[in-house]
Amino acid sequence: MASGLFSIVAVVGVAFASYQERLSPSVASGLLWVILLFSSIVALSRSFVAEEEAGTAILLRLVARSHAVFWGKALFNLIQMFITAAVLSILLFGLTTQTVSHYPLYTLGLLGGCASLAGAVTLCGALAAQASNRSALVGAIGIPLLLPLIAMGIGATRYCLGGVGVGIASRAVSSAIGLSVYAFAIFAVGPWLFDVVWKE
Amino acid sequence: MLSVEALGKRFGSRWVFRGIEFDLGKGDALIICGRNGSGKSTLLKILSGLAAPSEGTIKLPEGDRRTTIGLAALDMSAYAHLTVAEHLNFTATMRGCAPALEPLLERLGLADRRNQLAFELSTGMRSRLKLALAIQAEPDLLLLDEPGAAMDAAGRAIVEEVCAEQRRRGVLVVATNDPSERKLGNLELELVG
Repeated sequence: MASGLFSIVAVVGVAFASYQERLSPSVASGLLWVILLFSSIVALSRSFVAEEEAGTAILLRLVARSHAVFWGKALFNLIQMFITAAVLSILLFGLTTQTVSHYPLYTLGLLGGCASLAGAVTLCGALAAQASNRSALVGAIGIPLLLPLIAMGIGATRYCLGGVGVGIASRAVSSAIGLSVYAFAIFAVGPWLFDVVWKE
Repeated sequence: MLSVEALGKRFGSRWVFRGIEFDLGKGDALIICGRNGSGKSTLLKILSGLAAPSEGTIKLPEGDRRTTIGLAALDMSAYAHLTVAEHLNFTATMRGCAPALEPLLERLGLADRRNQLAFELSTGMRSRLKLALAIQAEPDLLLLDEPGAAMDAAGRAIVEEVCAEQRRRGVLVVATNDPSERKLGNLELELVG
């Protein structure tokens, strides 16, 4: 709820600020990924922190395999990210003058980026949940994981928002592929890393 | 079934306990007592596999820990928006064991609360739910942290029955400050902190 509210307010704020002005593809892409990043951190770190604070993490550790917990949390986060990205995109392009010039590439980049975000923030949330200074730790752990991801995401979507030439399209494709590979790596390695983190 | 040698746990530079040793077989019930902060709950969590010791070795019952070890910890909570029955079905699914819903509900006096949300339960009833979740898979090792706390007389009678049943099946370890619960065990360990 907090994440969704933040996303909507942020996009509406951008729309008001840029009223009747044309947003450049770079600015629009950067804004989109910054909003996605912050909404994911707000929502996804809570998935483990909430369990620790409510005292239900103990029950979960006793009855569930670590892989099952990881996949359950990660898949929920994945679906949430997809929905957030879809709503954000609709709002951003509906409320501003920005348009998408290459929908398949844009969708590929967005999906790969959301999958990577979901996997990375699931791991960060699990790492930080057991610490005393959780909020600061999520940020500290998240920066090296998430910055390359955001850079690739901006690269993937930026070139889909302006006119797309052959050279520009190939850059968008390589960024989108990079995001997909990042997502694959996170979900391939994540369960094993999570197993170590999940135990005290 | 449960063997512990030179067990110790520290947080930072402070040792909570050191040099704990015991060897429990089927039918044994160990009562762990000590003042607040002496490490009773910490020791239970180490025995359940939730926490790692700082030194020493533990030999736990063989098999999948999800079904061979049951723990009812003081700081463990149920999911507020699941009902009693949903909790038992959920943990059974996660553990891969039969839910044994009706027998457990009857035995723990929760039959008339089966459709009640966990956050609506009284403290005593939540303790019974925790106990039900701990014994659901009929574990070889049952760990109880102050099981009688917040329980009424009927609840304490249920705890005694569960403990007696556990001793017939396996090993029981109870951490308690209540002198009346010492009769649940045949062995005592006092942590001096």
